[in-house]
Amino acid sequence: MWKKLFAWLDERLALNELYKATLDRPEPKGNWWNTLGSASLFLFLLQGVTGIFLSVYYTPSPDHAFDSIQYIMNGVAFGWLIRGIHHWGATLMVLVVFIHMLRVFVTASYKYPRELTWLIGVGLLLCTLGMGFTGYLLPWDQKAYWATTVATSIAGSVPIIGSFIMKALRGGTDLSALTLSRFFAAHIWMLPAVLAGLIGVHLFLIIKHGESEFPGKDD
Amino acid sequence: MKEEQKKTVLEKYKIALQKGERFWPDSIYKDLLVSLAIFIVLILLATFLGVPGEPKADPSDTAYVPKPEWYFLFLFKFLAVYGQIPLLGKIEWIATAAIPALVILLLFVLPLMDKNPYRHYSRRIMALSIMAVFVTSMVVLTVISGIPTTSGNTGMSAMTLLQFLTGLVIPIMAYIIIVGSSFLSNKLKLLGSRLQKWTAVGGSLSMIVVAGVVILIAPPAAPSAEVQVANTLTEQIIAGQDLYSLNCVQCHGADGEGGIISGVQGLEGFNMKAIHSQDEMYTRSDETLGDIISYGQPNLGMQPFGKSYGGALSTSEIDYIVAFMRYTWDDRSVIPAGAVSTIPELNPGEVPSWDVHIQPLVKRYCVSCHRTGRQNNNYLMTSYQEMLTTGDNAPLITAGDPKSLLLTLINGHEGKDPVTGNVIRQMPPTKLLDPKYVDMLTRWVMAGMPQTAKEAAALAPTPTATPTGGVAPAVPTPTPTP
Repeated sequence: MWKKLFAWLDERLALNELYKATLDRPEPKGNWWNTLGSASLFLFLLQGVTGIFLSVYYTPSPDHAFDSIQYIMNGVAFGWLIRGIHHWGATLMVLVVFIHMLRVFVTASYKYPRELTWLIGVGLLLCTLGMGFTGYLLPWDQKAYWATTVATSIAGSVPIIGSFIMKALRGGTDLSALTLSRFFAAHIWMLPAVLAGLIGVHLFLIIKHGESEFPGKDD
Repeated sequence: MKEEQKKTVLEKYKIALQKGERFWPDSIYKDLLVSLAIFIVLILLATFLGVPGEPKADPSDTAYVPKPEWYFLFLFKFLAVYGQIPLLGKIEWIATAAIPALVILLLFVLPLMDKNPYRHYSRRIMALSIMAVFVTSMVVLTVISGIPTTSGNTGMSAMTLLQFLTGLVIPIMAYIIIVGSSFLSNKLKLLGSRLQKWTAVGGSLSMIVVAGVVILIAPPAAPSAEVQVANTLTEQIIAGQDLYSLNCVQCHGADGEGGIISGVQGLEGFNMKAIHSQDEMYTRSDETLGDIISYGQPNLGMQPFGKSYGGALSTSEIDYIVAFMRYTWDDRSVIPAGAVSTIPELNPGEVPSWDVHIQPLVKRYCVSCHRTGRQNNNYLMTSYQEMLTTGDNAPLITAGDPKSLLLTLINGHEGKDPVTGNVIRQMPPTKLLDPKYVDMLTRWVMAGMPQTAKEAAALAPTPTATPTGGVAPAVPTPTPTP
């Protein structure tokens, strides 16, 4: 019965080929350092899931953002847990992604034929930092408000285009409701979309070229 | 990379694969284990550390010193240290834009830039050395980010100089030596890579040592004023009650009942309407109440309280006061259990103490006026010592004396200033305390004003009268106290 069902699905979904391509891959002998990439992916998915739950109650307006988070923390069942995981997950994700990058650097895995994988990885690192930066403002508390004021004014110090960047980020000359909605849009739509796309390419390249082996003495 | 080299790389990889394992099921368990461990760590962090509370954003509070997320701290410290360079330090954009952009660009083009075909550590000394110095300087800058860059006095202090050394000078010197020694001629190649290795090790170590010295000689950080953040509704209502007692009672009365104002400049004798009525509560939303507190009502004599308008209250604090008003006076809202910091009831024969009974009572009904900066004949009531010793007519309370000025006044009688002969009216001026609180204060004075609950318990066996009705205390046996 199960065999029949599987055969039927396999005929249509190519499950066997999928399995061979993604899971039943040969790879060089690895060690625990090789798990950092998949850990980053796991954290991305976890941030996505907890973030979606948070967006159910969160309101991106200066009048209600702070109160909606208070409500998530106190009123919603397990809201504190979801927010806690999202909060600490962000910290851990930056850490894990950075250590992953260091590992790739130390084992020189960015060399032929994996140059593009590295390039996209740097993009992923920047997107992750961007997620941290935009997410920091969303609680609309003192720390968020003033840290973002300082950070956007730093962007404003860039010669020539600085004031344009600052106004684009803030949606005006000062932090306002527009800043919050811009950061919110960037945090839940733009950056995650870019991240997901880049992760897709990153994974494709890893499967295409295989995981790099640890360098031996003669490499 | 030449085609031949590419071929060898691919062939070697093929051999590695043959000697290797399969993703499923040989190594995937490691990935799953690590992910599971991360998940558990996150749940523990969320449960036991939680998310630290912060007050609501307050655009008027420009004194707030913001701190970025920890992974940006190194960048902030770098900017601060860079700003100490004479002349060059003034050109901000070099540090804020040019250098970070350069680092990101270098990261992007690393695979194209690094022409070295080898992968083993022993053949990549230069790349590894540069990265080691870079990562160490990042970590060092993060660690010392909490220490002020300048020590206040003008010019470079030893503190600034050391931070300058560990944050900028040592890493830059190390980069120069590492990159420079790669240009050594072929004969000196070995020497060059040794130099790079030892520069990385020495540079990193000296950065760590100097940073350690910086931390050691750093002046102990002034304890940052802990902002009290009320997270739950209960905490908010209690915080609101305290703030209301401090800021509003003088004019609006302890329970929002209003009355004739006394002791407030410009509003002396004004008959304040009650603000706790159903009318008020039903017709004003939380937003309106918050706005009134924040803006004040200048044409009615109410000063603005919001920081943005020259007052002293932050946005969060005003929200707490509104929560207190709403939940205590509005009969449509149900106050959560434990949300009122009540003054404990007394059992018959029990002696009240400052810590348990008098302090909350005084805080609720008296401190609004009887604190520094108010018109109060210099009688302050914010601490035990003050309550016993301050005032133009000190002492206002004498152990065991039912005629103590304080007791006279709270019972609604007028007192006479022994020095000037001025008449002091009843206290609190607008509405007398609930009889049970008058009784509480009376019992406290008669028992000898014990400070702690322990002292009070020790005094308890002495029979203390419990006057009913709260009018003129009739105490048969005043307890003499030294």
